[in-house]
Amino acid sequence: MTAFNEHKNTAIVDQTKLLALINSKAPFSSTYGKDSLDVALIFGSFEQGVSLFFQGDGVYQLIDKQDSSIISVKNYLKTFAAFEFYDIEDIYVCQQSVVERKLSDAFHIENVQLLTAKDFSLQLTQHKHILRF
Amino acid sequence: MATLHIVRKSAFSSNDLAQCLALVIKSDTIVLLDDACYNVNHPLITQVLTEQPELAIQIMKTHALARAITVMDSIRTIAMKDLVSLTLTHEKVITWQ
Amino acid sequence: MNKLAVVITTPPYSNLTITAIDYVEAALSLGVDVIGIFFYQDGAIHANKSVSIASDDYQAIQHWTRLHKEYQLPLHVCITAAEKRGIPCDDVPNEETENTNEVFTISGLGELVELSSRASRLVQF
Repeated sequence: MTAFNEHKNTAIVDQTKLLALINSKAPFSSTYGKDSLDVALIFGSFEQGVSLFFQGDGVYQLIDKQDSSIISVKNYLKTFAAFEFYDIEDIYVCQQSVVERKLSDAFHIENVQLLTAKDFSLQLTQHKHILRF
Repeated sequence: MATLHIVRKSAFSSNDLAQCLALVIKSDTIVLLDDACYNVNHPLITQVLTEQPELAIQIMKTHALARAITVMDSIRTIAMKDLVSLTLTHEKVITWQ
Repeated sequence: MNKLAVVITTPPYSNLTITAIDYVEAALSLGVDVIGIFFYQDGAIHANKSVSIASDDYQAIQHWTRLHKEYQLPLHVCITAAEKRGIPCDDVPNEETENTNEVFTISGLGELVELSSRASRLVQF
């Protein structure tokens, strides 16, 4: 059932950004999401290109109307609203992960690109380094 | 553009491997490290070996040996120096942990 | 010339750290230019001088110390990750900072940006 992705015709112009961050964990029970966000913001503030990727349970970080303060957890997700301020513009979400979890694509941030596995994979390779949290 | 995927967990208890496989292309290489050595007997790897033989699956020899895992011929056993070389010969590296 | 930077996210008492150290040591012995190690998340615990690992267990901190001395390998510990894990960080050396192992340099996340831009490969453990 696994079909191979193929990357065809990558752009002629090298638009390699420095870092791709894959977010793979749900938001509140662990600090992976916040740790990842801290890295994203530091790269943004140093004006280094960084893109965010959400795959697997990582897509839970995007659901709208979450409020971790109800469970005494600081709501770091609110900081996602500041992405534009940090020049973090490219946010890619694994479509299959969203569908598997029966989530709506009404996320709490805009300008998010829902991608097929093939395109998600291709976008990752447009970055010099990839870290996964 | 080939990517090196370093997988460190057992697919019997983590879906890291599944997420990794969703993104691989045939020129990529997957290296099984630490508890990911158990994946040699996981259906996902069996499927890849059968259906996608061009995808290179390699395993850290000492990590498999320590766990008394028998590695089939279709999976190349490597040493740590080989993993370092793989890091340099592939354009990108992703750790799945 | 290939420049390699490594991110360590596991603590000194984790067996996963052994794999990382083996990797770094293999790279150094192959003559790869390892420009720095960045200790993030639980990796920051490495800087805690009070960590006491049973003597017959793998001594991760001793291995990092050896690699640091033998190869002048920079070991950067993220200050935010360190502080929340009980490693006091202060610019002025004092009683508290005596708890920080001096082989490690306390750095900000900015160091990760620096290492990433200089490195041709960034490997995460």
